[in-house]
Amino acid sequence: MPPQLQQGVDFLNAEIPLEFYLVVGAIMFAIGAWGALIRRNAVVVFMCVELMINAVNLSLVAFSDYLPQANGEGTSYAILVIAIAAAEIAVGLAIVLAVFRSRRTVNVDEINTMKG
Amino acid sequence: MIVAFGFLAGMVLVSAFGVVVSRNVVHSALFMSVSFLGVAGFFVMLNAPALAAFQVLIYVGAVTVVILFGIMFTQKPQVRRFATIINRQFWASLVVALGIGAFVAVIVSIEDWGDTKSGAGSTSVRDLGRNLLGVGQAPEIFSLLFEVASVLLLVAVVAAIVVSRRKAGAGEDSQVAERVES
Repeated sequence: MPPQLQQGVDFLNAEIPLEFYLVVGAIMFAIGAWGALIRRNAVVVFMCVELMINAVNLSLVAFSDYLPQANGEGTSYAILVIAIAAAEIAVGLAIVLAVFRSRRTVNVDEINTMKG
Repeated sequence: MIVAFGFLAGMVLVSAFGVVVSRNVVHSALFMSVSFLGVAGFFVMLNAPALAAFQVLIYVGAVTVVILFGIMFTQKPQVRRFATIINRQFWASLVVALGIGAFVAVIVSIEDWGDTKSGAGSTSVRDLGRNLLGVGQAPEIFSLLFEVASVLLLVAVVAAIVVSRRKAGAGEDSQVAERVES
């Protein structure tokens, strides 16, 4: 095998450093935070919060896989985070539905009092 | 490995961006499910196949369907103009989000994580279950967290039913009926 080809194969098979996963998680978290700040629609704000939760999950699992002393505990934390995020989305969408019934809107800029 | 990583990273980040800037809310939800699918691919690369299966079942399946139902119940047809979906803090929040992203990315890049190696943690589903129940090597707090999570899920289901239940006489139907009559 010629050396250039061997070099290319080595590059393709190289192990990915931990930092790459963490940087992807950080960028995904930032995109989710940006969306949660700028969007007017309450349902889309929920989606952006889910994106942020997933970014943190990705970092947890990356740590759990790469750090020897982590003992695989990040994966267990990730499962708990998934369960809590599912509970959050159920209650959150129920609240959005209740607000929509009384206000006929899901625009978070217009919903500024708590008593319907 | 690097090809799969680049593909998944592009998929996750592009569809996360699509969630934020898409004018159609249904497109946002579908972009979100693609992004979650990319995260599931990352979990497979990180030697957590059980978690990847959970991710596909719970996020790509259940959460996307619940959000699509929420959209069906609450949304009006697609908006035409970009300004109607985004509030006035566009540039300020872009600066804030870029600041957060750059700060965290730089911090995790320059931090010395010590001796890291892919596949260093335990990868078997058996260890995952033992960790989750707090037996063996795992810290005992996990058994408490496990129980609290199950109670929390029950409370969330009951709360979702109670909060979204239609009050007698004050619901959507009476308003619709009034509008039809007038």
